[in-house]
This record gives sequence, structure tokens and C-alpha cells, in this order.
Amino acid sequence: MRSWKNHVRGELQQRDQTEKLPFIGVFTSLSQMEERFEFRKTFLDDVQSKSLDRGGRESEHLAEKLSQTVSDLTTVLYLKEAELQYWQSRVSHYRQEALSLAKRSNTLKTTLSEFEYTIECQSKELAALRNEQKGINEALALACREKDELLQRWMEEKREEADRLNKYNDAQERWQRVAKHLKKHLHSERKKEFVPIVTNSWYGEK
Amino acid sequence: MADDKDVLRDVWFGRIPTCFLLNQDEVTEREAEPYYLLLPRVSYLTLVTDKVKKHFHKVIRTEDAEEMWFEYEGTPLKWHYPIGVLFDLHASNTVLPWSITVHFKNFPDRDLLHCPSHSVIEAHFMSSIKEADALKHKSQVVNDMQKKDHKQLWMGLQNDKFDQFWAMNRKLMEYPTEDGGFRFIPFRIYQTMSDRPFIQKQYRPVSPEGNVHTLGDLMKAMYPVALSNEGEPKRFQVVIHGIEPLLETPLQWLSEHLSHPDNFLHICVIPVPSD
Repeated sequence: MRSWKNHVRGELQQRDQTEKLPFIGVFTSLSQMEERFEFRKTFLDDVQSKSLDRGGRESEHLAEKLSQTVSDLTTVLYLKEAELQYWQSRVSHYRQEALSLAKRSNTLKTTLSEFEYTIECQSKELAALRNEQKGINEALALACREKDELLQRWMEEKREEADRLNKYNDAQERWQRVAKHLKKHLHSERKKEFVPIVTNSWYGEK
Repeated sequence: MADDKDVLRDVWFGRIPTCFLLNQDEVTEREAEPYYLLLPRVSYLTLVTDKVKKHFHKVIRTEDAEEMWFEYEGTPLKWHYPIGVLFDLHASNTVLPWSITVHFKNFPDRDLLHCPSHSVIEAHFMSSIKEADALKHKSQVVNDMQKKDHKQLWMGLQNDKFDQFWAMNRKLMEYPTEDGGFRFIPFRIYQTMSDRPFIQKQYRPVSPEGNVHTLGDLMKAMYPVALSNEGEPKRFQVVIHGIEPLLETPLQWLSEHLSHPDNFLHICVIPVPSD
């Protein structure tokens, strides 16, 4: 219970303890005594003035009281009827509300079970996809290893090829040097051979 | 609402013990005895004082008896304010029973409205209910009621029938849950130290940001002088139905539970008594 509400309740009770309760007893008694006094006074006056009419007056007073009681009871009945009507309308309102809430609850349950089913399917799909991903990752790792090996082999071959080419080039160079040297030698030999031929013909004529 | 029915009952059955004394200037055939009555806080003076009138008419001459009016310590009492408001405003610190002086002469026309019959009180009461409903529901609830429903409200007050009155009044206290309360709170703030009769403005139960307005918020907005600053001694009491609710009490709850039968929340600001 909230403290401000308790405070109001407590203060109202405290107020009545001071203003109402100490006085209600004496004020009610006083009022009743006054009523009784008034009634007796009227009654006495009646008796004194018209003693013959007394019976008639008493019955008139009684009839008046009865009529007041009937009127009071009719008011109470009317009030209770109004209250009953109000509560009936509230019950019908709440029944309608309960029905609509039950309908909503059923719809929500159906939707919930549909969502649960969807979640289950998607979980399975996810598991399958994870397996597939695992296989692909393994294949990728294998392919990477193979690629590295091939690259190494290819590099080895290239190195060997380069060595071969270098040897070939060296050999070519050597051959060219030898050929040049030989050509030079051939030239010089040819020069030497040309001169004796002329001399020889000179010598032959002689 | 149903949980707080005891609060509604306590409010409805609040009583003030009162002693009516005839003004000494009235010409009487014999000495007038005082008349004692427990006055309902939520009713109106002229509605519950037929017996007082009858009592004093016995001792004054018929030709001297003009319209009856009441006064407390020199202040004429406005019959169109609820009795509890008159007591809280003028006499909350008096010794009980409350002594009211009864007059049958020199009616103060400048201060009081005439009240020749109960139908005038009924008209005033129904007009207040309609005004309150215009603020709370744009008059939709009171206009949807039938004449007999209006009569039931009035008869409930006139005959002091709590159940009869609340069977109908609960309709005036309903509101859509999503709104969080009435459109505006019907309230009146009375003060003793001003010539202005009361403060009445439009004030919502919930702020535009969705915060619940409290009694403190209302007083701060309408009459900040009534609230004391921290560290300062308290100068004024904010009184409703003879009690001081906490300032954090939500205004909507107060309107539903501490309103008078006319559907207005009557708030009295009175100086703290100097003992």
C-alpha cells in the first residue's frame, strides 16, 4: 500500500476521532430526546384540545409513518435495482472482454507454435550449413598445401633451368672465343700461304 | 476504486459538531436556547438547517423573521460553499463544537447569495456537477444521464444516502484507462488572506511528458506561496476535508476520492496556527 494513501486514511480517522466520535453519542441522544419531546408535546396538545379526535389523530399519525416507511423502502428498492443493473452491465462487459482476450490468447499461441517450428527448421539448416562449411574449409586447407608444394617444385625447376642456361651461355661464349681465335689464326695462315705461291711461280720459270 | 471505498465513506460521513446561537440583536419573545447539530461536511448549510430555523422561529415574532443567514466571528458564511470548506477555512482551529451565530435580519446582500428554497441549492449543486464534468469529460457523462439520474445525485445528497449517490456518481468518476485520468482536474483553491474567492484554472492530471501530477505540483503551479522552502518553517497548511494529504499524493486519485459531491476538489490554504 502506498504511503500517501495510508496517510490519507490515517488522517481521516484521526479527524473523526477529534471532530465526530466524541460528539456523535451526545448529539444523537439530544436529537432523539428532542424528537420525543416534540412528539409528546404535540400529543399532549392534541389530547387537551380535542380528546375526541385523539383516536383519529393517532391513526392518521400511524398512517403517515407507514406511508413514510413505504416511501423509504421504495427508494431503497429503486436504488438496489439501479445498482443491480449497473453490476449486470459490468459483468457482461467483463465477459465480453474475457472472450476477446481468450481469442487473442489462442491466436498468439498458434503464432508462437509456428515461430517455434520455423526456428527448429532454421536450426537444422544452420547445422547442415556448418557441416558443409567445415568440409569446404578442410578442402581449402588441402588445396593450399598442394599449391605451396607445386610452387616450390616450380621454383626448383626454374632454378635448374637457369643453371642450365647459364652453363650453355658460358659454353657459347667459350666457343665464340675459340672460333674467333681460330678465324684469326686462319687469316694469318691464309696470308702466309698467298706470298709463297707468287714466289714459287717466279722460281719455276727460272 | 473499489479498494478505496472506505476513503469515500470517511469523506461522506465526515461530521462537524455545531452549536447554533441566535444573534443577540434579534428581538425575541423569550430567551433562545442554543441548538446543537452534527453537520455533514459535504452538505450545504441551508440544506441541513431546517430544524435550526424551526427552533428559533419559536422564539421570534413572525414579522421579525426575514431570511435566515449564518455568521462566524463576524464573517458571513456562504451557504453555496460546502460546510466542510467553511469550517476548514474559517474555524479549523476553533474549540468544538463550532459556534455559529444565526441571523434573521440585515441580510448581507454584498457577501451572500439568497437561498429562498432547496431548489436554489439543487440548481447550484447540479450546475457545479455539470461544470466539473465539462472539465473532466467535455460534459459527455452528465449529458448522457437522464433527468432521474440527476435527481438521484441530488436526492442522495439531500437525504444523506451514500449508496444512492455513489451508484450514480461513479459514472462521473470513470475515464479511459489509456488517458491516465480526467481531461482536467476540477479544483478550487480557497485562501483566507485574499479578497479573491478562489483559484480555479485548467490543470491536467498528467504532464505532457507522461508524469503523474501531484498535489504538490498543483500548488506549485497555482499557489507557490503555500509551499515552504527547505529549511524554512512551515507557514501554510494545505487542507482537504479537514486533513493535510501528503504533497506527493497523485492529483487524479485525490479528485476521484476526496472531491465533494459537486465533483470539485475543494482545497483550503490556511495559516499554520501559532500555539
